[in-house]
Amino acid sequence: MTLRTSRRAALLGGLAAPFVSRLAAAQTGPIRLGTLTPQTGAGGPYGPAMVKVAQALVGEINAAGGVAGRRIELVSEDDETNPDAGVRAARKLIDVEKVSAIIGTWASAVTTAVAPLCWENKVMLFTVSGADSITKLPHQGYIIRTQPNTYLQSATAAKYLASTGAKTVFALSAQTPFAVDSYNRLSDVLAQGGAKAVGDVIYDASKTSFRSEIDQALKTKPDALFLNSYTPDLAVILRELFRAGYEGRKFTFGYAANAKLLDTVGAEVAEGLISFSPSPDLDSPAFAKVRAILGAEPDPYSCQVHDHISLAALAIGKAGAGTGTAIHDNLRAIGDAAGTKITSAVEGLKLLAAGKAVNFEGASGPCKFTPAGDIEGCRFRFDVAEKGKYRLLSLI
Amino acid sequence: MTGDLPQLLINGLLAGTQLAVPAIGFTTIFAVLRFPSFAIASHATIGAYAGYIANVWLGLPAGVALLAAFIVAGLFGVATDEIALRRLRTSGPLTVAIASVALTIVLENLVRFGFGNDQRGYALAVLRDWRVDLGALGMVRIGPQQVQNAGAAAVAMGLLFLFLGFTRTGKMMRAVADNPMLASLKGIDADRVAQLANFIGMGLAGFGGMLVAMDTAVDPLTGFRVMLSIFAAAVVGGLGSIPGAVLGAFVVGVGEEFSIILLDPTYRTAVGFLAILIVLSFRPRGLLGERAI
Amino acid sequence: MENYLLAMAVFAGCTALMALGLNVIFGLAGMINLGLVGFFAIGAYASALLTVKLHLPLVLAWPAAIFAAAACGVAVALITARLRGDYLAIVTLGFSEVIRLVASNEIWLTNGTDGISAIPAPGRGVLSPLLFNLQFVVIVWIAVGVAALLIARLSAAPFGRVLRAIREDDVIASVAGKRVLRFKLQAFAIGAGLMGLAGALYAHFNAYIAPDSFQPLVTIYVVLALTAGGTGTMRGAVLGAVLVVALTEGTRFLGGVVPGLAPVQIAALREAIIGVVLILVLTYRPGGIIPETSRTHRLETS
Repeated sequence: MTLRTSRRAALLGGLAAPFVSRLAAAQTGPIRLGTLTPQTGAGGPYGPAMVKVAQALVGEINAAGGVAGRRIELVSEDDETNPDAGVRAARKLIDVEKVSAIIGTWASAVTTAVAPLCWENKVMLFTVSGADSITKLPHQGYIIRTQPNTYLQSATAAKYLASTGAKTVFALSAQTPFAVDSYNRLSDVLAQGGAKAVGDVIYDASKTSFRSEIDQALKTKPDALFLNSYTPDLAVILRELFRAGYEGRKFTFGYAANAKLLDTVGAEVAEGLISFSPSPDLDSPAFAKVRAILGAEPDPYSCQVHDHISLAALAIGKAGAGTGTAIHDNLRAIGDAAGTKITSAVEGLKLLAAGKAVNFEGASGPCKFTPAGDIEGCRFRFDVAEKGKYRLLSLI
Repeated sequence: MTGDLPQLLINGLLAGTQLAVPAIGFTTIFAVLRFPSFAIASHATIGAYAGYIANVWLGLPAGVALLAAFIVAGLFGVATDEIALRRLRTSGPLTVAIASVALTIVLENLVRFGFGNDQRGYALAVLRDWRVDLGALGMVRIGPQQVQNAGAAAVAMGLLFLFLGFTRTGKMMRAVADNPMLASLKGIDADRVAQLANFIGMGLAGFGGMLVAMDTAVDPLTGFRVMLSIFAAAVVGGLGSIPGAVLGAFVVGVGEEFSIILLDPTYRTAVGFLAILIVLSFRPRGLLGERAI
Repeated sequence: MENYLLAMAVFAGCTALMALGLNVIFGLAGMINLGLVGFFAIGAYASALLTVKLHLPLVLAWPAAIFAAAACGVAVALITARLRGDYLAIVTLGFSEVIRLVASNEIWLTNGTDGISAIPAPGRGVLSPLLFNLQFVVIVWIAVGVAALLIARLSAAPFGRVLRAIREDDVIASVAGKRVLRFKLQAFAIGAGLMGLAGALYAHFNAYIAPDSFQPLVTIYVVLALTAGGTGTMRGAVLGAVLVVALTEGTRFLGGVVPGLAPVQIAALREAIIGVVLILVLTYRPGGIIPETSRTHRLETS
């Protein structure tokens, strides 16, 4: 793909050779976007689907004529779930590939490491990382986070748990930058709802058994367990909870409880597991599109990458220019409440080209952002695992 | 806290049996070839996938799948040693050890290339734990599957002991491990013994990898997750000693569970190394020395 | 592109400093050490914490980083003095993992897995990215040059001859009246100090460090740099470092060449190729690209 385009660019350049300046070439050549996702390492279960969605969407936008008359070219790098490798890959994306935006950073450490490079070079960074600190560090507006931050997620979880009548909640958390913040917030909000957080264990997710950690949790006889985990460790924990005969509520994040999890642990073990994810309206065409691309129930990260690509393309369409600064300056304008509601980039780009205002709502939610780059709020969907399938409980 | 001790002990012992099998594999290779093989991690992963194919794709029962894990990982062990490591032995153990790191990276990624990163699980029903009343010591719970796995591990270890103690080939292997020079004077074919050590060692790694994956999941990092604990077990017991590896596995397994009394669970990985430092300070060649194969 | 190349030159310089440090510990004194990344991390954290939390200037923080890593080197050498090579490999590997665990868990000191961000560096935000990178290339490679010269002199001096004697046979060396332990401790201190310096330079260039930056793979790449370049020689260590960075980074450009693969397959292929090349180098250049000429016989470490 790269080869073909460069040949075409060379052909174009050859025709107009004497007059084409580098600047002009930059305005007619493809617009480059980069994905920086975990393909190897601990984040490996998530990265491949994210890139698959990004590629499909870019293909769709290009097939519909591209953005502002230009094609989008997607360059995908592996961050190896490691901030050192992530920085090197980001430097390649920024300095060599000249991307206008980096999309899909997952591990909080990778996002934090890459963020200064992005704003120093005026490249937009779209992330799915959860740590609260990310949007608090200086970034001059060059970070957009579609993942609700820990503060919002934990509060939502706590409210829900309290509403189910759980009086005592114990948290089991993988060691992440947001594990402690998450528990503190959970504890505060539970207290407001008349319930109580009775303890937490932070565990090393790379271990292969958590029996003693689970014994510690079950000793408090909690009404509910808050499992702040990722898929690999959640699989181990669910099995061990089943073996231990735990019958209480099990609550976790949608990204941990993905479709693969049910296959891995089996229906019986996962029975009753409640998960929650940021969500658009139930009949969201964007969500349906991600489902069609993946051929499976979409995970929250893939939905967010759908929105990253759409946001970048729409901002570029709105600006008529493909730079990181153009995305930065126009991102919030495509969520114009007075504009036509759209759920796909292709549809929005047509309206923008016609000079109309648009109001984008993505596969992960409304995509309105605070000045710091966090989403302003979103709806959450709650699903429960029943007989090996997820069933929607509610959308709030 | 003392009320938890029986449960922690049981948890630790069960973790220890799981660790013992790949630790024996690691130490067998060390005994004969004299280098710490990092490739144990990727071979454990290969075993887990071989077991998955046998169990889920071909619908074979878990016992047969474990055998498949052993054989496939063992064959991979022989082949990869022949292709990548054998010629490096003259360059010293560190070179071979480093090459085995490179080998494990290659194999992990070949698995990833073929299967992706998705988690997979075996077609096994998960059973509820037995609850046993120990009277004054309180109730403990024991997982039937863990006990079954421990049984499988014990069978594998038993067969290895019989092989080493009572067959001609096994005795040859021990002779090479004890004194390669003397063994070659006696006309023992060192290359064949090396192949055998690789087959058994990596086969056990694969067998252990499938045991681990039964409790966790099959993915390209299955083996990598237990690698450090395997090293710790083998070193604590004494590199090259098979009974040592078993003992070391229990020390590390029980130690990691007991550590929860004093340390945050996030420090569990450090326990293995703490055990190494303590044991090696008193016994620089590990608990059981090195000649016990 | 220039920016990227300059940044890679900085990373290559840090790897070269570590390879030179390993050259003292392993190349000259023959002690196996797979815990390099631990010393690298200690230097990085020491310098980052001193400048971020105590606002010390770099001229104090960098020497302090060297000192902290060297002190840890002495401690590790003391603890492991009685151990044989293969045990040393695993114990030092464990040491570096423990350092990473401490960095992840002692949040009051290290900020845990959040890592330390906004680590200062001269000219950050003032100089253009190009000049900023260029400045660091100059600083790092001057450090590499000075370190290489000093170690080369040390290696030619009686000190180096004693270390090589210890490497070949520490019993004979001690019979010859050399205080083996003292020399081993000195070698460890010098080597670990260089790795600490590499860590400090890395931290200030990158502006951010986190426990996950210090995975064992870093150690493996440094050991490979030294073995591929030529154990025992300074030029070999430096050349090896450049080659390793060129290999790990160069493979990023393969993605566009192989059509029809999923990104995860491209990533897997890239890492597999790195592994294969390493094995090939070890197989076909066992003495390294620049082998040690003065040595009397093959390096045996068991």
